[in-house]
Amino acid sequence: METFTHSEKLMGNMFTFSMVTASEAAFKELVAAAVAEVKRIEKILTTYSETSETAQINAQAGIAAVCVSDETFDLIQRSLFLSEITQGAFDITYGGIDKSLWNFDRTMTSLPSPEKALQSVHLVNYKNVILNESEKTVFLKEKGMRLGFGGIGKGFAAEKVKLVLQKAGVTDGIVNASGDLCAWGTQPNGNPWTVGIAHPDLRDAPFSYLSISNRAIATSGTYEKFITINGKRYSHTINPKTGLPVQGIKSVTIIAPNAELADALATPVSVMGIKSGLYLIEQIPEVHAIVIDDQNNLFKTSQIQLK
Amino acid sequence: MKKIVISGLALLAFFKIQAQTPKDSTGYKPTKLKIEEVNLVSSYYRQNGDNASVTGGIGSQKLTDIANVIDVTLVKYGKTGKKHTLDVEIGVDHYTSASSDRVDLQANTSASSSDIRVYPSLLYTAEQIDKGRSFAIGVGSSTEYDYQSFNGTAAFIQKTKDRNGEFTARFQAFLDQVKIIKPIELRQGQDDGGTEARNTFAGSLSYAQAINKNLQVSLTADYVQQTGYLSLPFHRVYLNDGTVSQENLPDTRTKIPIGGRLSYFLGDHLIVRAFYRFYTDDWDMQSHTAELELPVKITPFFSLTPFYRYYDQTRIKYFKAYGEHTAAEQYRTSNYDLSPFHSNFYGIGVRMAPENGLFGNPHWAMLEFRVGHYDRSTDLNANIASVNLKYKV
Repeated sequence: METFTHSEKLMGNMFTFSMVTASEAAFKELVAAAVAEVKRIEKILTTYSETSETAQINAQAGIAAVCVSDETFDLIQRSLFLSEITQGAFDITYGGIDKSLWNFDRTMTSLPSPEKALQSVHLVNYKNVILNESEKTVFLKEKGMRLGFGGIGKGFAAEKVKLVLQKAGVTDGIVNASGDLCAWGTQPNGNPWTVGIAHPDLRDAPFSYLSISNRAIATSGTYEKFITINGKRYSHTINPKTGLPVQGIKSVTIIAPNAELADALATPVSVMGIKSGLYLIEQIPEVHAIVIDDQNNLFKTSQIQLK
Repeated sequence: MKKIVISGLALLAFFKIQAQTPKDSTGYKPTKLKIEEVNLVSSYYRQNGDNASVTGGIGSQKLTDIANVIDVTLVKYGKTGKKHTLDVEIGVDHYTSASSDRVDLQANTSASSSDIRVYPSLLYTAEQIDKGRSFAIGVGSSTEYDYQSFNGTAAFIQKTKDRNGEFTARFQAFLDQVKIIKPIELRQGQDDGGTEARNTFAGSLSYAQAINKNLQVSLTADYVQQTGYLSLPFHRVYLNDGTVSQENLPDTRTKIPIGGRLSYFLGDHLIVRAFYRFYTDDWDMQSHTAELELPVKITPFFSLTPFYRYYDQTRIKYFKAYGEHTAAEQYRTSNYDLSPFHSNFYGIGVRMAPENGLFGNPHWAMLEFRVGHYDRSTDLNANIASVNLKYKV
């Protein structure tokens, strides 16, 4: 048995599939199945195509409820639950933000006024997503609201691909969706997989390693997308409560049993702040976090042991 | 269970690890989750079919107890984003030679017909990863029966922007002491000959380029300046008048080797390595070396490397054969290492580098041994075995 790896750009991100299989031919077949699964998910989640379920929900915002597949309905339901436990820091209606205020190409010289900023997020509110469980319909209450799965889609896809591969008999592998990854089983030599966490200042270099099996990791960081105004570094992530960019945190890594959960929790921790964010993660079983702030201070939840 | 050990020695910690969390000014407050919320999180996993990680039916009290501790190994960088590594290596060579230099005519086994060489080394590297730049300094020594050598190295390495090319400038100095062992009939009384200094300074420029995924090439040009005692003291020279004298050679020598290397990766298991070098010096020697190596990876941790080397050289201008030198010549040698010859060297190398270290010890990273047969046109045959063991801190 041997580990084979294949990378491909899918859903606008680099996906890397690693699997332990008996032959390269078998691996190639499995890759085809994995790629097909990501493309299927992209068709549901994309806002670029008018025919996707997501686009249909957005098009009917303020007008009518849209009937969707169980899969999409469940994903939205889980997302709303995550909004609830993160006090709205995670919000799939984030797509409704007025983007005209922001230009993250580092040429901005001042922040918008708090009033203007607040106005820009007035359409962002997960409580205005109305689900009807028996009809499996989704309704966005306000006209102009937009669902977007940028904060959960990569992890969702990684998890779905893992399930497809597991059903096809792959007992050991890693699906890495641009840093949101899940690993199951072990390496061919029986050791757990070794995963690096990217250094917040050095794009290609890891700052730490850990061994994982049957776990997922996601890292959200301000590596490239940030602006500096009056010497302060602001992330491209907007706090949905204030409409202002998040500040003070360079990188959040979440370790969880599930890639979707890891992906979805990484950004809200940076939005909520170190104390509130880590307090939240600490309470969730089997979920752990490492946070690095702008001064390169490292914070972590209690079950993480640094070596 | 042993955790991952990072290669290299941590010199500076980059991150300050904080136990206290600061107050947030984000509009969010540390909030206790309701028990049903926590339970929903565990059912969340089940929805995705990930049952392995769910223990099920857990209350908030037990939650932290079942959570596994996660070990995270930090890689240490300097404050400026530099990566520091320190490698320590100890090498031991053992060789036997069928016609090695006989110093004592009566002896059956002379000191150098079977010899052990020990060479520890220490190399410190500072790597500025974002700029693709490294700087290294190192020291080493090598001890043989009649030879003591200390060396220092300084190197500067710069990668090209696309990281496919790498330029290296290296300067090395070898400060050697040669034990003066005269041929027995030239010794006077208790004359032990003492030692003489030999210094070598070498500057080297090289450029390596990855042409594509499978092909890598490199070019190297050196300039080597040697001064001091460059003869071997125990070499006899028989003159045309029948008398015996010692080898005598000038005390400076300038050498210029220029070489090229090619590696071609044929799939995951076979590499073709080819090497050619042209050499010239101011003692009028020219030589050509061509070498082919075929490393075969049997498993990721075990490989076999058959190799073959052809070598051809011209004589130095001070060489004459047995009984041909005259007493009037200032410089003279009959050392067949400096005569015209060609040689063949072939053998096989074995390399073991288990992931968890040799004998389960992660510090012993690699064991390599090589056996070979050397055959020279001037009637010299040798069997050579060498062992290399790598220790990582």
